[in-house]
Formats: sequence, structure tokens, C-alpha cells
Amino acid sequence: MSWDIAVYRAINNAVPKVYKVLREHPYIEELAKRLREAKLEVLNNLEKYVEETLQSVKNNGGNAYYVHDEKEAQEIVGKIVGKGKIVVMGKSMVAYELGIRKYLESLGNEVWETDLGEFLIQQANEPPSHIIAPAIHMTKESVGKLLKEKIGGVDENSKVEDMVAVVRKFLRDKFVKADVGITGANAIAADTGSVLLVENEGNIRFTTVAPQIHIAIAGVEKILPTLADAMIEPLVQSAYAGLYPPTYVNLTSGPSSTADIEHNRVRPAHGPKEFHLILVDNGRVKANKDNILREALLCIRCGRCHFHCPIYRAIGNIWGDPPYSGPMGAMWSYIVKGDTKPAMYCVHSGNCKEVCPMRINIPRVLEYIKNLGLHSKGKLEL
Amino acid sequence: MNNLSEIGKILVDNLNRYYMPFPVDKKVCSEWAKDLPKGGNTIIYTSCMYQIEPAVGMFLKFLPSISSFKGLMPLARLVKPSRSQLDRAYKILNNIVKALEKSGIKPGYLYEEEPYSGAILLEMGFLKEFGEYAKKVVSLFKEKGVRKIITVDPHTHNALTRYQEFVKHDLEIANYLELVNYTKKVEGEFTIHDSCLYSRFLGLREKYRGLIEKSGIKLVEDEMITGKYTSSCCGGPLGPVDLKVSEKIAENRAKDLEKLSKKLLVVCPICYVTLLPHFKGEIMDIAEVIF
Repeated sequence: MSWDIAVYRAINNAVPKVYKVLREHPYIEELAKRLREAKLEVLNNLEKYVEETLQSVKNNGGNAYYVHDEKEAQEIVGKIVGKGKIVVMGKSMVAYELGIRKYLESLGNEVWETDLGEFLIQQANEPPSHIIAPAIHMTKESVGKLLKEKIGGVDENSKVEDMVAVVRKFLRDKFVKADVGITGANAIAADTGSVLLVENEGNIRFTTVAPQIHIAIAGVEKILPTLADAMIEPLVQSAYAGLYPPTYVNLTSGPSSTADIEHNRVRPAHGPKEFHLILVDNGRVKANKDNILREALLCIRCGRCHFHCPIYRAIGNIWGDPPYSGPMGAMWSYIVKGDTKPAMYCVHSGNCKEVCPMRINIPRVLEYIKNLGLHSKGKLEL
Repeated sequence: MNNLSEIGKILVDNLNRYYMPFPVDKKVCSEWAKDLPKGGNTIIYTSCMYQIEPAVGMFLKFLPSISSFKGLMPLARLVKPSRSQLDRAYKILNNIVKALEKSGIKPGYLYEEEPYSGAILLEMGFLKEFGEYAKKVVSLFKEKGVRKIITVDPHTHNALTRYQEFVKHDLEIANYLELVNYTKKVEGEFTIHDSCLYSRFLGLREKYRGLIEKSGIKLVEDEMITGKYTSSCCGGPLGPVDLKVSEKIAENRAKDLEKLSKKLLVVCPICYVTLLPHFKGEIMDIAEVIF
């Protein structure tokens, strides 16, 4: 029942907001079309753009890595972070996909999720239930109860503003003391090696600037040909998430720098001394070789499809392999985990394909995954 | 989730044997038609959807334990719709024929030789099996001299429009909503549950909505409930995969629609059957109301 109430509230808040944003800022739809084309350009030449991105990051004084799977990603992050450190994480679904937080904790680090929703599910030890609103399954009453137990200062009857305030106070201390900040990336520019991150809370800005080391972990599908293309992504993503304009867009091109003395650019300056970009395959490259599955790689994680999907409304918090839920999650559960079962639940309502900013024909992709699952050994099999 | 592999095997076996997904007395499918010419160049094609759908719920309840049955023959008696359910289905089909005739179209019908479309295979993801079955159905239509097929429900229409991806053919596929006008003036307010397939895959949403409005009916709408991109599925097509989740979707949908009106129009036999136990009010197919 809690899920029914929470998702009903979220749908009725989010859906009208997106329509309003698109009505008031008609240029967004044009930007979305341009973004789709730019993403396709990369997917059609993925190897070349991966190489270019890695080189561009190095040109900026950063470190860049390409990893094939979860194990390789954990090893590299583990080597950079070490042991006994304080790590703040800025809402990376790819980091969740790769089990980075739990791995770093197992090495003896203190790791904090700093996005409010991520912080809540970390405290509740629950998986995320929406790609950009991970604690959407919690009502404000259940959040108040959780915070009362974990950090105090509020209860079930507190105002949302007061709940946010106690978490803010709690996490500010962590940001200041953190040794390492880990984020994802909304977009990465191949020509400059710049990472774009969109957010509203300010936690990503803290995470990317306050600690001495910034690690960005992102799937290869986040690469765009140029910085101009990459700059579009945060605008489109936040608009289709109904959160436009976004409060913050962060751009990071290597470690902090200054050219204030004789206009000679040197690194580091006040921000991180080290910048590391980890580009992740984990099933994406294989998917890119399949014309139908490739469409799924265009997803910009706005989470709009979730709110138009009857399956998500019915069983969303248990549909898909965390962190991937909803219609996009049914596609991504197959891409990164090889799991075809979430796709079997697609009821081809078709709303998702109509509202997707990247025009992904999600029901058709899921139909294809269903067929793969049912014939996994060349015959009817599940 | 049900054992989909097992269900798939049984569906394919039955389709190969009976041209139906489960054993059905073919008279149940065909006895609605009395005076239509048998066969012909242009046929009305029911795929036995309106006729058998009211009994499918019973069939779905047995699916989780399907492997314990030796085939589906023991279920054949159980999945027969009641007399009143059949009378309703027959009335809908006859109303559609009358509406077609008023538009100058006199279709034939294949009676007991009419095959099922294979839609359930397509929608569950058995693409390979659907493609193979589509070839058989196309051959059967050709053998019977059929050139133009008039479908009467969204699932059959969707399946037939997808045949081309699996088998080359020159059959003309039309849906009755593209060919008829309303034949009865109606007063009153209804809300509407759109068919996902008609609305977002087959481009027919405005066709039936136009007919409804011209008939005089006032549709009670809400952008969050009946909008083109917000209206939800009834949950019916998920029944063979997971009946519990299918019913949860239907419950959510019915609750939303009840807020708008206690009188609900549908355009699909699956939507009707799926929403019926959950909607507190009256549900009618448009073919019961505007023809």
C-alpha cells in the first residue's frame, strides 16, 4: 500500500511538470532530436570515440581507464581510494551497477551516499526504485520514521523541509572531511574529456570539488562527440525529468586548474588534485553491436518512462535489477545482467515510446529481449 | 511469473492442431453468424476474440499449474463462456456487420474454418513461433481466396499488421473502425478506456473517438487518466505471464476511471473482460452502444 500511495503522488507531481516544461521551453524538443543524433554518431563509431575520450582526459592532466566488467572497475577504484578513507558518492547508477560502494566499504572505507534519495536508501539498506528518484517508494512519513531512527531530529510528522535540513547538516560534515568523491556522468565530451553532471541538491558540486580526488564512473554510451553536444544533455535530461531548469550543471575537465599567473595553466588549484575517469563496458559494447538493443543505449536516464508505465505503477519497486527499474530498466537489466525476466512483464502499453525524449521504441526492444529469453538455447527455454 | 516456456509449447501445439491457442468448440466461435456468405474475397475476421475472451480468465487461473495437465483438453469444457456472455459477444459482432453493411460492405466469413491470429504468441514474445504460425495463416487465407480482411479487435489487427515482418503477402488488412460510421444517435456521458494498441501503435484512436463523439456521446476526460500518453493499459495482456500483476494493473486502472464516470466505454474484448471485475459501474463496448 505504501508503494501505491508513494508512486501515485510521484506520478501526479512529475507528469504534469514535464508537460509544463516542454510547453514553456519548446526548444527542448529540438535539443532532444540533436542529442539523439549525436549519441547515434558515437554508437556508430564507439571504439574511435572511446579512444578519443581517454586521450582527451589524459591531455587535461587526468587519468582515464576503460573497464570491461564489475571486477575490473572495483579493482581500479579500490587502488585509487585505498583503505580507511572517507568517500562521498554523488548518485551514480553505474557505481551501483558495479557494486562500488559495498566494495569500498569491504576495504574498510567510510562511504556516504550524498544524494538525498540515495542517502535514504543507503540508511534503509534498500535498492533504488527509480532511476533519478531512488527513494520514490518511501512516503514522507516513512522517511521521517527512518531519519528518526538513523540520525534523529525529525519524526513521521515532520515537514519535508525539516527532514532535508537534518540530512543537510549531517552530510555537510562528511563533504568537508571526505578524501575522495565519486560521481557518475550525464555526458562526456570526447573532444575535451569533459564530464557533465546535472543535479539540484548541490551534493554533486561538493563531491566533485571538496575532496582531493574526484573519480567519475560512466558507461561508454555517455560519450558525445563534442563539448557542445555534451552541454545539451543536462538540459534535455532535466527537462524530461520535470526538473527544469536544473539547479546546477557541473562541468569537470581534469583536475582543478589556474592560469592566473602569466596565463600559464597549471594544476591543481583549489579543487581536486586528481581526476580519474573510468569508462565502463559491462555489456554495453555487445549491445551496441545489435541494431535493436543499441536503441537502449540512447537512454538518458530521465525516468519519464517510469511514470507513464502501468507495470511500474503496479510493481515498480520490485521490477528490474537494481538500480535499473521501469521500462528503461527492463532493457538495462538485460544489457548489464543478461536478465530477460523483467522484459517479460512488458504489457506493450506503448506510453513509454511516446514520451521518451530519445524516441526509443521501448516495447519493441523489450519484445526482442523476451524472444531472446524464451529461446536462450535455440529452443523454448526460460 | 508463470512457466512461459511450458505455456509457449502448449500454445504452439494447440495452434498447430486446432488453429486456436487452446481447444475450443469452434461452434462457440462461429454460431453468431447465420447469413453471411461463407468465405469470399472480403471477410470479417473475428479470430474468436469477442466470443472466447470471457472464458479466458478461467484458463489463466490454471496456467500456473499447467505442467500438471496432460495437454489442455481437460480444460476445454471449463473455458466455455456462459450463454449470456456469448449472447453479448454475438450481438457485438452482428452490430459490426450491420454497420459495415450500412457502409456498403458485405463481408464473407470463414465460420468454423476461421483461424486464430497468433496474437498471444506475439505479445508474449514468441516471435519465432509467431512468424511460423503467421505463414500458416496466410496460406490458409490464400487457399480460401481471401484478399481483404476486416478485423474487429485491436490485438488481431496488430498481429495481422505485423505478419508482413515474417511472411510476404498481398492481403489487405483493414479494421472495421476505418470503414464504418455510427448508426445510432446516443445521449449521455461515458468515460473511455482506450486500447493501447489502437491508440499508440495502430493510429486508430481518433477514428473511434470521432465515431463516439459524432454519435452524440459526451466523453468525460481527464488528461492524467484518458490522455493519449497517460492512459494506462488494462493489464489483460499480462494475464498469461503473471495474473496477479495483471489484476493489480486492472484494479489501478478501474479506480482511476471510476473517478470520471460510472459508465465506461471500451473498444477491445480483452479490456472489457479484464476491467469488469474491478470497475464499479457499467462497461460497454462501443459496438454495443453506437451501432
